[in-house]
Amino acid sequence: MLEVIEAILFSTLDYAPALIFASLGAVLCERSGIVNIGVEGMMRSGAFAAAVAALIVPTGVAVSAGMLAGAGLAAIHAYLSIRWRSDQVVSGMAINLVALAGITFLLESRYSPTGTPPIAQLQRWNLAGVEAIPILRVLSGHSAITYLAVVVALAFHVVLFRTPVGLRLRAVGEKPTAAATLGISVARLRYASVIGSGLLAGLGGAALSTSTLDRFEQHMPAGLGFIALAAMVFGRWTPLGAFGAAAFFAGGNALRIGLASSAPRVLQIVPQGFLLALPYLLTLLVLTAQGTKSRAPAALGVPYEPESR
Amino acid sequence: MSDRRASSARAITWAARRALPSLLSVALALTVCFVAIGISRADFSVAAEAFQQMTWGGLGDFPGFFRDRSWALLTRPWGESTTKAALLVFTGLSVSVAFCVGLFNIGAQGQMTLGAITAAVLGAYLPLPRGIHPFACVIGAAVAGSAYALLPTFLKLWRGVHEVISTIMLNWIAVSLVENWLVVGPLRASASGDLSRSGTQEILSSAELPRLLGGLSRLNAGFPLAVAAVLVVWLWLSRSGNGFEVRAVGLGSEAARTAGIAVHRRTYQAMAIAGALAGVAGGVWVLGTEHKFPATLGSPYGFDGIAIALIGQNHPLGVGAAALFFGILRAGGTRMQLLGVHKSFPELIQGLALLFVAGKMIWERLLIRSQRRAMPSAEAPRA
Repeated sequence: MLEVIEAILFSTLDYAPALIFASLGAVLCERSGIVNIGVEGMMRSGAFAAAVAALIVPTGVAVSAGMLAGAGLAAIHAYLSIRWRSDQVVSGMAINLVALAGITFLLESRYSPTGTPPIAQLQRWNLAGVEAIPILRVLSGHSAITYLAVVVALAFHVVLFRTPVGLRLRAVGEKPTAAATLGISVARLRYASVIGSGLLAGLGGAALSTSTLDRFEQHMPAGLGFIALAAMVFGRWTPLGAFGAAAFFAGGNALRIGLASSAPRVLQIVPQGFLLALPYLLTLLVLTAQGTKSRAPAALGVPYEPESR
Repeated sequence: MSDRRASSARAITWAARRALPSLLSVALALTVCFVAIGISRADFSVAAEAFQQMTWGGLGDFPGFFRDRSWALLTRPWGESTTKAALLVFTGLSVSVAFCVGLFNIGAQGQMTLGAITAAVLGAYLPLPRGIHPFACVIGAAVAGSAYALLPTFLKLWRGVHEVISTIMLNWIAVSLVENWLVVGPLRASASGDLSRSGTQEILSSAELPRLLGGLSRLNAGFPLAVAAVLVVWLWLSRSGNGFEVRAVGLGSEAARTAGIAVHRRTYQAMAIAGALAGVAGGVWVLGTEHKFPATLGSPYGFDGIAIALIGQNHPLGVGAAALFFGILRAGGTRMQLLGVHKSFPELIQGLALLFVAGKMIWERLLIRSQRRAMPSAEAPRA
């Protein structure tokens, strides 16, 4: 029994970073007032770029290529929605479609239809102190990305709620006109957050192809970008909330996979489809319960026009 | 007399101006993709041949037809194009009707999934005579899609839950429950023992949508149904009082309310129609081409609907034209595989076109500038 629990916790820690980074990226973007449903596409490009780069350079360096790819798509999203005040949902959806089909095309023309060749996986760290302690030993043996996810979430929380930059960012997402009267450049902050969210989503994608697995597979990220959005909503648009929700969803997924292999009889009573639907259902219920008291940034999705009041 | 001619000329320029950003976006997307094939193969003649194959594969193999005089060379591609176009018409109209009432229906995918599974169940297990059966299945699909679209509408009007997030969640709930539970569980066909077959029970032959050209083509009754849907939605939105009210709600619900329009009722009604259209897409897909619910929906048709609606500038006739164009492209895309170009290539063209349409304001700025240059001071700039 202990081994089963440990195995589930271990695979949660392996799988969660992708979701955590993507949902942190979504929080960053939406806190500045820009809707980002392109997370899925940014993750996909990040996963692909990191895997391709890792064929040439060391995997640790390749991860940054994934981040840049995510940021590149995010820059397009930012340009369209900030400079040209395009509909942010449309532009995000367009990014998803382009990433879906474009990477299929690249994958097919360069490698094989199913995925890239295997790469050197990110090195796993062994924490010497905890290896003998039951339960706690699951903390050991993950790649740096897992530990980085915790650090980034905490740092993001501190920056957002304890620093002047964070205050400005929140102001821009809540009431951009008020922020602008204080001399804050709404556009510049929004550009920075959208591109930053692309970096994070790209990192999440890279985590999938370099840390969770050892190659890019055609179906990646298989809807994880949308679960990241659910985690963002579930975590009420806060970094720690999104972190917790992402970890919770990842744990649920590991539990489902664990049940399928160790206790298939449970899945005859509760079908897998129900468990797969659960994160989305919970998010929907939370949203319904919050109702109009939802914590979404007030200016979310509203293009900022300096001359309007 | 001349008055009427002037007004019709004005209508044509209005339509042209509205369509221009889309046409330019599609042209730009085609160009980008042409260059992409050329560069990835380091040979632009491959790109040229790929585009040629795509044209013949979508519009009909005319060179082959003039050589062999075989009608099947034309009717087969027509069948593929029209079946694909029909699905895009229904999902595109679904998204576009929701836009008209001011809602963003990202949930067409989920509504289509429910429509498809409903049609598959009714088609397989409901014994009805040949003439009525397809109708019953399509209506069932419409009702299922409709109900699934009313849920986020209700949550929006009752609790203020934003429909973009709620429909994304509902999409995945539908996919999880249908594809990972119903299709592999209670509704799985392989009770007879054949484990290699996936999907639900095949529908009865009485439920199949009739093929209009018999064995010559897969062209089925779904396409005329789609054309009819375009015309009905167009007439409803542009010529009826009810459609006018729906558009008024979409343009400004507060103003509509003060004008005495029942805002909530119109919103529910439009979303019910939007969901029904997406559900019918699922029904036509099952009854016309698949004849069962296969393991998965396979393609993000619902998301394609968003692209089609926006490239069609949200006008029913524009949606019809965009759907037909991309249906032809997709049917042709399968022919590109002969040259080793992946069949999802038309989807890349579509995605890029959507991206360029999203930058509509850029086109408009460019067009206005070129117009100003062409005829200086023809019209005083508006404040």
